[in-house]
Amino acid sequence: MSDVQLADWRNHALTLESEVNKVVVGQQTPIRLITTSIFARGHVLLEGDVGVGKTTLLRAFTRGIGGGYQRIEGTIDLMPNDLVYHTYLGEDGKPHVSPGPLLMSGENLSVFFFNEINRARPQVHSLLLRVMAERSLSAFNTEHYFPHMIVFADRNQVEKEETFEIPSAARDRFMMEIPIVVPNDDAIMEALVFDTKFHNVDALVDTVKPDVLQFDELNAFSSVIQNSIEASDTLKKYALNLWKATKTPLDYGVKVSGVDMNRLVLSGASPRGMSMMLRAARVNAWLNNRNAVLPDDIHAVFHSTIAHRLVFSPVYEMRRTEIAREMLSGIVNAVSAP
Amino acid sequence: MTKYFRVLLLTAILSISSQQALAIDSQTLPDVDEGVVSINTIDPYKRVGYTIGDVIEREVTLTIKAPYKLIETSLPIVGYEKRYRGKVIGIELKNIEHSKKEHKDYTTHHIKLAYQVFTNSVVAKNVALGPEYLNLINTNNKKQLVKYRIPSLDVAVSPLSIFGQVKVENNMSQFLEPLLIKDDQERKWLNVAVGVLALSLLALLYIFGKHAWLPRMGGSFARAYRTIKKLPSKNDTGLKQAISAVHLAFNQTAKMSVFNDNLDEFLKNNPNFSYIKSEISQFFGLSRQVYFEPNAQHSVGNNPTQWLLKFTKQCRDCERGLIPTTHKAGV
Repeated sequence: MSDVQLADWRNHALTLESEVNKVVVGQQTPIRLITTSIFARGHVLLEGDVGVGKTTLLRAFTRGIGGGYQRIEGTIDLMPNDLVYHTYLGEDGKPHVSPGPLLMSGENLSVFFFNEINRARPQVHSLLLRVMAERSLSAFNTEHYFPHMIVFADRNQVEKEETFEIPSAARDRFMMEIPIVVPNDDAIMEALVFDTKFHNVDALVDTVKPDVLQFDELNAFSSVIQNSIEASDTLKKYALNLWKATKTPLDYGVKVSGVDMNRLVLSGASPRGMSMMLRAARVNAWLNNRNAVLPDDIHAVFHSTIAHRLVFSPVYEMRRTEIAREMLSGIVNAVSAP
Repeated sequence: MTKYFRVLLLTAILSISSQQALAIDSQTLPDVDEGVVSINTIDPYKRVGYTIGDVIEREVTLTIKAPYKLIETSLPIVGYEKRYRGKVIGIELKNIEHSKKEHKDYTTHHIKLAYQVFTNSVVAKNVALGPEYLNLINTNNKKQLVKYRIPSLDVAVSPLSIFGQVKVENNMSQFLEPLLIKDDQERKWLNVAVGVLALSLLALLYIFGKHAWLPRMGGSFARAYRTIKKLPSKNDTGLKQAISAVHLAFNQTAKMSVFNDNLDEFLKNNPNFSYIKSEISQFFGLSRQVYFEPNAQHSVGNNPTQWLLKFTKQCRDCERGLIPTTHKAGV
């Protein structure tokens, strides 16, 4: 029964990927990673410039998995209650309260997109992180639950003015940080500019086949994946060595050009980070029609699940993307299995 | 009888005359007439700087015209100490070699004299080799005995050291050639050391050549091949160790960890291995089945260890820049 279920859901997942790939072109890797995070039930931090298609991507996924999609823009004057409710004067001249983005879809909320999260104040981060961790919220003397919600947050990496950097503890709550970059392929770039179907986002998203997956079944099926895909002793040892290497890269002979490796890493990957990495690796193995995790599955999610968790010395923080990429590549090259 | 008596009488006379000649003090005899004897000498080039123990050689060639003949018993006697004014001068005749050649009108005598210095003066001084006096007899008039004087040769004897000085280097005469220290022993040890150094360099070459006597030998896959040959072929532990050895060889060759997902990069950097691309994929399939996914299928047959041995040998050929045997000429 389980094998049939796994195969059936895999077909749905691949159909979803295919549908999204039709709408958002040249982003196969981010789409695979987002599919992975959906089935691993992990929140995602998106990294990329403005106008590269992040919103379109998320809306396309939401249409495919069903459920509610909500979005909020991070601004410096955004307050935590702005996520929960709005107040306004009604036609009757009386004050009214309506649900904010978090409460709008109720329990059916499946994708919550926080755009430019680093423009919001730490109080807002705090509320969002609680919602991400517990998938619940107390408001109006009621406990609200969002069991199917996945948070996607985007942070503006270019502009640093009037921004609040997300602390490492907050970054650690996200399963993945996925870079979204403009494709290099000239044909794709030309299509994005000249093909009119990409000009109307609403119409474009409407072309995605709706409800390919059932958002309210994802939690249960995620458990099936995690319980079905095995990890051998050799793989566990390999994952442990990778973890150790993130803490003390120099012990594994990993070096980054122009960086004092003795001072670089203040803290390696966390236990939560490693468990999220393995969850994602299991999903990747399942998507590739395997019953067990291979090192290749770990490699497929290693950068996106670990890079944003590393805590570097402040002096290297400005170059963290480049340094983390080089360091993690060095770790993959240095640690062997078996 | 008469004849026999005559011979006996002549012998007795010659014998007596020789004794007389020997007994005669040569210096009291008259000098031979000028022109009867001609002399030619070969004297040593070095005239100074002799010291105790040195041997000085001098060759004298005398041509004596007939009817005069040399009384050979008047030749200088070996061991005779030369004196000057009654004092021993420290020059002694060590050896004499005499040869003669008789002709119709003259006789040639070749005399080689070797003198040895037996003095150690504290100051440099002259000494004379000779003169030597030789007695000649007129064969036409046996009563006429004359002498011939071989002229002396002056040389200088030097002290071993300047009086009061003990430092040999300061006392060495400029005319003495340097005293050479015997270095046979040192040369022997030098040769031994050079031999050891050469062997050490060879050993270092061997070590830094990664234990290969020839280039590209003794590489990672050669070591893996030797390891696998020694492993038990029937059990799982042996198979795991064999796979692990091959993985290690791949990692060492690539200088990074090689996985199925970076195989293309490995082949790009090590094009020698592209001949066995499909076999490498088979190997990673086997590794996947053994180490990570027991339910997966591999395509190496029923005897993976044997296949692995053959595969490692192919890798070893690739490592050496050879085309693996099974891939030569479309085999």
